[in-house]
Amino acid sequence: MNSRHALLALLAGGLALAALPWLLSDFLLALALSCVMYAGLAVSWSMFCGPTNYLSLATAAFFGLGTYVTAWGAGALPYGLSVLAGGLVAAGFAALIGAAVLHLRGAYFAVITFGMGELVRHGITYYEKAFEGTVGRIIAEAPESTTVYWMVLLVSMGAVAAAVLVRDHRLGLALRGIGSDEERAQTLGVNARRSKIAAFALSAFFAGALGAAMAVRWTYIDPLTVFNPFIGFQTVLIAMVGGAQTILGPIASAVVFGLLTEFLRLQFPYLFLVILGFLLILLVLYLPGGIASLFERWRWRRGNV
Amino acid sequence: MSEPLLAARGVSVRFGGLVAVDGVDLDVRAGELVGIIGPNGAGKTTFFHTLSGVLAPTAGRVLVGGDDLTGKPPHAYAAHGVARTFQTPRVFKEMPAIDNVRFGLEFAGRTRQHAHDAFDEAETILEFLGLADVAAVPAGGLTPSRQRLLEIGMALGARPRVLLLDEVAAGLTHAEVDASAQLIRRVRDELGLAVVWIEHAVRVLMNYVERVAVLHQGRKIADGDPRAVAKDPAVVEAYLGEEGEPERRAA
Ligand SMILES: Nc1ncnc2c1ncn2[C@@H]1O[C@H](COP(=O)(O)OP(=O)(O)O)[C@@H](O)[C@H]1O
Ligand SMILES: [Mg+2]
Repeated sequence: MNSRHALLALLAGGLALAALPWLLSDFLLALALSCVMYAGLAVSWSMFCGPTNYLSLATAAFFGLGTYVTAWGAGALPYGLSVLAGGLVAAGFAALIGAAVLHLRGAYFAVITFGMGELVRHGITYYEKAFEGTVGRIIAEAPESTTVYWMVLLVSMGAVAAAVLVRDHRLGLALRGIGSDEERAQTLGVNARRSKIAAFALSAFFAGALGAAMAVRWTYIDPLTVFNPFIGFQTVLIAMVGGAQTILGPIASAVVFGLLTEFLRLQFPYLFLVILGFLLILLVLYLPGGIASLFERWRWRRGNV
Repeated sequence: MSEPLLAARGVSVRFGGLVAVDGVDLDVRAGELVGIIGPNGAGKTTFFHTLSGVLAPTAGRVLVGGDDLTGKPPHAYAAHGVARTFQTPRVFKEMPAIDNVRFGLEFAGRTRQHAHDAFDEAETILEFLGLADVAAVPAGGLTPSRQRLLEIGMALGARPRVLLLDEVAAGLTHAEVDASAQLIRRVRDELGLAVVWIEHAVRVLMNYVERVAVLHQGRKIADGDPRAVAKDPAVVEAYLGEEGEPERRAA
């Protein structure tokens, strides 16, 4: 499928999803919102981490920064602008720290990106205590829940469109080369540092914008809630289970996870987490390409008969 | 004489106490096909690392097309037209063979147009190397000798002005070596490339190059016409006990 077909399919899917507020109850719409948000987060995570084989745990930091942009700008900025600003702040932050830590690999990179999230969280807590006298803030005026849904849908569709374009253009090829053998890619003319920073920042833009769009769902925002590491872990899990090398994999996986989380967590809260943990271990050990790689294998076999 | 396309000036590389490359000078001009020989561990590969930006020399300078690139990252060398192969093939294993060749065309090769267009298509390059039938196969699934050929294809994809080949003939059959050598001569003739070709096995190289340099314990001990170099007492000495007299093997 080339870019144009993929983007047309995305547009069709997006339009269909945009009609959901007229079809679903409030409860189901909230569920759809959560699925769409995780799809956007997982696709933006995979955009950088899939082809390069980097394990970033910074999603929570980007997401949290986005929510804080909305919280700080609430009242002053229109909703749409907050979302844009949230994305830009997260992208700028990603570019800055990316320049400092993207030469690290593997566990070092994972740990340091996780640490970054904690750093931002404590930094904001400290700032609020020292200069504002309170921790956390209240968002007084929130848009309608349908508006939030459409905004999150728009940002997630933007993430998918960006992922398609990156995949099919030189940046995607550069990232795959970097993931496969960074030095070899450099000897063939890839400016690895620049490519990695650009893709990392682009991926952070969507996480930040999603945080900014979701912020209005909470009336009370505090660092502990919005820099929740669980959001980051869940994103990584969804992307890896779905197959971070693909775009459809993380989307499908986000939907399944969204539904499972909602229904199973209510009924078997602990068993659910145990099953998730096992699933992750099994996948990492036996199916590092995620569920999507099963389909690739199947298609490949069929093509060879 | 024209200005050298590639110039190493007193290049040295130190690994802790070990001097792997020791003050090597080398000038390569457009259209030249230069061989570098030397026993195992002589510093040939390390020297290539410095010529391609993979390793910064601890002393000395590297100039490409007159520009001093010492200390610059590998992509700067690639942008200046230096392309290389690796002794142990470093193909992009998950990518189809054709994408491995396309890679250089998309990056280093993008800004440079050759006089001839014969090597501007990934398909053509694969065909020249006899790899057309495996274009769609992930490179990691190719036999080691075919990965070695693909390494040459990747480097050609970068549309080089200087081509650095590190033991590309190792493990190939006689016919394959001959075909690769023909190809290398042909791109050199058609595109006016400068080619530097390392080979551990002296005999392979001597038949194909017009000039040969000899590295021994990191130092360049000879540089010139292959027949003259093969008779050089210092060279004979360096190769004694290693693999016999180079002259006899070259014959
Ligand atoms: N990264 C490294 N660290 C330490 N020593 C090295 C390194 N790479 C090469 N060497 C040493 O440098 C010397 C030259 O190696 P090399 O350039 O690979 O020789 P050649 O290619 O001529 O066989 C050898 O003694 C080798 O062990
Ligand atoms: Mg070597």
